[in-house]
Amino acid sequence: MSSEALVQVRGLRKVYRQGEIDVAALAGIDLDIHAGEFLALMGPSGSGKSTLLHLIAGIDRPSAGSCHVGGVDVATLGQSELAGWRNRNVGFIFQSFNLIPVLSALENVEMPLLLTGLSHARRRELATLALDLVGLGDRARHLPRQLSGGQEQRVAIARALVTDPALVVADEPTGNLDSHSAQEVLGILGALNRDAGRTIIMVTHDPKAAASATRIVHLEKGELSP
Amino acid sequence: MTLHGFVVRNALRNRRRMLLTMLSVGASMFLLVTLLVALRELTNPPTGIGASLRIAVPSKVSLATELPARQRPILEKLPGVRAVTPLTWFGGRLNGEESFNLPQFGIDARYFREVFAEAILSEADWTAWMASRTACIAGKDVAERYKLKVGDRIRIQGDIYPVDLELTLAAVYGIDGAAAADSIFFHHEYFDEAMGNPGTVGMWWVLAESAEVVPGLIDRINATFANSSAEVRAETERAFQLGFISMLANLKLLIGSICAVVVFTLGLVTASTMSMAIRERFRELSILKAVGFRRRDLFAFILAESFGLSLAGGMLGAGAAVGLYSSPLVTKFSKGFFPIFEVTPQIIGTALFVAATLGILASLMPALSVMRLSVVEGLRALD
Repeated sequence: MSSEALVQVRGLRKVYRQGEIDVAALAGIDLDIHAGEFLALMGPSGSGKSTLLHLIAGIDRPSAGSCHVGGVDVATLGQSELAGWRNRNVGFIFQSFNLIPVLSALENVEMPLLLTGLSHARRRELATLALDLVGLGDRARHLPRQLSGGQEQRVAIARALVTDPALVVADEPTGNLDSHSAQEVLGILGALNRDAGRTIIMVTHDPKAAASATRIVHLEKGELSP
Repeated sequence: MTLHGFVVRNALRNRRRMLLTMLSVGASMFLLVTLLVALRELTNPPTGIGASLRIAVPSKVSLATELPARQRPILEKLPGVRAVTPLTWFGGRLNGEESFNLPQFGIDARYFREVFAEAILSEADWTAWMASRTACIAGKDVAERYKLKVGDRIRIQGDIYPVDLELTLAAVYGIDGAAAADSIFFHHEYFDEAMGNPGTVGMWWVLAESAEVVPGLIDRINATFANSSAEVRAETERAFQLGFISMLANLKLLIGSICAVVVFTLGLVTASTMSMAIRERFRELSILKAVGFRRRDLFAFILAESFGLSLAGGMLGAGAAVGLYSSPLVTKFSKGFFPIFEVTPQIIGTALFVAATLGILASLMPALSVMRLSVVEGLRALD
């Protein structure tokens, strides 16, 4: 085990059962991701890149193999432990933004902090800071429907950062955005990696998006391709 | 923002659905409260001031069987008896009405105030009643309904008895408490004369000297006339009134069944609403799971939302029932059949308990499906 690697994936397999047939989404992956890396996972649809991301982020369980993040084998954690671990260690950014429509931008960002035991004032302070970081301090009271797609995704980035996680995972973060908004989002992710040393794993189809990363890994039929 | 605030926001997110759900729960609870109140009214006869001292003495055969007037002196001589009066149900039609609409009784007016102590009748009014054999008194509810005033002539056409009574209203009585004053009382003596002195009465009402002597007195009355040609079944006023209720046959079962259907339907409505509300939020709930909310947290959110909506609906329905039934309109529109339509704290509690319990039960299935749902499956769910 390499001591510098934040994420260590060994022999990771994921098999889905579709009716009578077993479909291998991941066929035994070995991968190290170091702290401070901005990794782009690329590959065609069905190559297993999102599955790999989900397993690393602890929102899915592997069929075999191990996945250590920050020294913790996430596959061995119970449901409750895993939820707590995700809250402390992983920030999520999704293609569809997935903000809670009844909450304001600030409240959406504050949501993960509700589980931390911080005071209301401190939660507000951190959420405001995170929104300022993505340039949406002036949109704090806006509901998601009052924001553009790019702004929604920036709120989602703020939500991913607010707990100060070791790892940020982004699943096609620019997939639903126009090119201008996509550039803004990629710029923010790049800056987070470059300036704040965040470790980011991003799944993308888009080579332009992948170009923002410091390393690109390709998957093909559930395996890493050279 | 707090977790409580989050639950409230979710509950309010689709206001029309929330409102309709609350109204459906409220309407069901209103109906449930109405049924429970009606059931209570039918099964819990009101007890007046003298009810604990009064003993009803009808024929052992049936209420329709008359008793001989010669029993009176025997009853009056029994130890523990303070007063005895005949009471005969006339059951006629007032002033040419097509059907029977209010109770009319022949009574010994001398003992009216003593035996029925909750009746409010002044000395002057009582004296006016006593002054004429054809005088009668009417309850204030009767007087209001028929717009009767003292001195008015009242004609009661006999349906059960082949005589008509020509009466003059001597006074209007009230009732101490919430019970309705909804009857007409006339002199039994006048009725006897009209009938040609048949020497019979409908039943006896006996006033005991104290509540302690009532059980023994009941036994003595029954024993006195046992094996006679006119056996009686003496019983307390409450037991007598419950006997009437037993004539309602399976009404209690019927009302209970309707209550069960109401509750069941309410359960389906709430469960359906919660299922829809949760299904359209699968994706959001999965995001909450992803960012660290535990399954039990999500379960609590759903439970709290469903519980809150149902309870609010229950409060709405029970509140409407309290508001409506505390109004005198009920007595007016039920023509005194439900003199008191009291929504007791116990009934309110039952309605709220039912609403809250159904809210919890209705949330169980959607909550369990969310708990079982993996984050990845949830993220794949359609918006």
